[in-house]
Amino acid sequence: MGEGPPILTVRLSKTYGKTVHALVGLDLRVEPGEVFGYLGPNGAGKSTTIRLLLGLIRPSGGTATLFGLDSWRQAVEAHRRVGYLPGDLRLSDRLTGEEQLESLARLRGGVDERLRAALCVRLGVVLDRPIRQLSKGNRQKLGIVQAFMHRPALVVLDEPTSGLDPLLQSEVRALIRETASDGRSVFLSSHSLDEVQHVADRVGIIRSGSLADVDSVESLRERSLRPVTITFADAADPEPFAAVAGVRVVGVDGAILRLAAPEPAMDALVKAAAMRTVVDFVSQPADLEEIFLELYREPDGGD
Amino acid sequence: MAATELLRRGVRDHRRALAAWCVGVIGYVALVTAIFPSIHGSPEFKQLAENYPEVLKSFFGIGAGGDITTGAGYIDIELFSLMLPLLVLVMAVGSGARAFAGEEDAGRLELVVAYPVRRRDAVLAKGAAVAAEVLAVSAVAGLALLVLDPIAGLDLRAGRLLGAIVSLAVLGLLFGWLALAVGAAFGSRALAIGLPAALGAGGYLVNGLHGLAAWLDPFRLLSPFWLVGSSPLQSGVDGLGLVAVLALGLVVLGAGSLLVERRDLETP
Repeated sequence: MGEGPPILTVRLSKTYGKTVHALVGLDLRVEPGEVFGYLGPNGAGKSTTIRLLLGLIRPSGGTATLFGLDSWRQAVEAHRRVGYLPGDLRLSDRLTGEEQLESLARLRGGVDERLRAALCVRLGVVLDRPIRQLSKGNRQKLGIVQAFMHRPALVVLDEPTSGLDPLLQSEVRALIRETASDGRSVFLSSHSLDEVQHVADRVGIIRSGSLADVDSVESLRERSLRPVTITFADAADPEPFAAVAGVRVVGVDGAILRLAAPEPAMDALVKAAAMRTVVDFVSQPADLEEIFLELYREPDGGD
Repeated sequence: MAATELLRRGVRDHRRALAAWCVGVIGYVALVTAIFPSIHGSPEFKQLAENYPEVLKSFFGIGAGGDITTGAGYIDIELFSLMLPLLVLVMAVGSGARAFAGEEDAGRLELVVAYPVRRRDAVLAKGAAVAAEVLAVSAVAGLALLVLDPIAGLDLRAGRLLGAIVSLAVLGLLFGWLALAVGAAFGSRALAIGLPAALGAGGYLVNGLHGLAAWLDPFRLLSPFWLVGSSPLQSGVDGLGLVAVLALGLVVLGAGSLLVERRDLETP
């Protein structure tokens, strides 16, 4: 059997009615062992993409395949190899966590009970109470367990850490990284860069139904601007710094100079600063949030 | 494997409602049978019933061989001509509509459909769950009558009673599966309740009135109530009609299970 990549979409589109273009011509490829972050604001088409990948809705154009299996026509075969956490997880309120997981395990068939139990312990899942009594975070944990419990070759997570406290968020990130180091793949959607930048290998950014950019987290980080603050012994002069390629002067406040600079400009900045007496030099880590915002600002520029 | 789990879950999700329906049916049957001894053989009641307007007599099968003062006639008129079919149909349509469209509305179907489960198998498993509920309520009604018969002196024939319960169940299956299939095909719970309710009411009216209006008479063939027969204890049930209604139910269920494969799943 010809084995395709975990996710491959070719000009994948979804149109509702005649006028609502929820997704336009998406080309995406996710490799084995890769964590792919899928970023965009609410309503940009993230969930539409995921629902197309899982064959819940039918493409209006183009194709989506999982491991070479058409996600609409061969959905059942594809689903054997996929774990899915919906963005808006709804469980059976009357069941206890344990009963819900057991029911889902029977529905899937062939789930390793020890792995399921280990995941429950690791995430601290509440198993003995009816689901209607559980907080959003505790429900979300059940959703995460069922997405990973059968060791799927591809895990699709729609906003996985929403409702989880920071400790659990990092536990889930660790789970995602381990999955990838197993050679399995994770497709992770989020509206927050924070959720994705520490875990994803590559990031795709979607904006009003089309893919704006795909890049590695590293390269995005290189392109993104770091906040740099230099404090001099006397009044600061922005001139020599503004001349360095890629650097933007954010503000001058007496002896304090604030800049935004990409990683490759650092050496030139330090050398320029060294011409004067420096009291303090602070360079903060780049936050991808910056580039994210840059990308979103672009369409507004023409208005 | 997956289908059995869906069947099991389907029954489990509705078990409280099912228990309530069973209790209600037993209560109603007990109430009706408790009144019978005061009507039994009473010429005044026979007279009263025969003086009903033609429309009512037509609906309840009075006259035309129906005698409200005998056990079979009384139970036919009081239970099998309206109340039991109504109770079973309301239960079946509610269950059928909830089983797929209701789950979809609540957003609980998304996870199931993302599992390695064929949508059509999910619909058929839910159909089996609806059938189990319909059979349970019908059987409970039959058992209640069987137990109360000697106490109230109804003197029903066991074979006729079985036929009456089977026809009740078959009507329930048709409308329950119709609700399930409409919900599966269109993803709308409102339509899944509304369409079977409208068709049920229409079929009931046609069955009740076809004898009074000549132009309506040919349409009786379209009424499932007419096909199975509405005086099952007095005149027996129409075996061919039962098979036809059951077959129609299966066709409807099959169509729903195919149509669900073609559409987008709704997001809540």
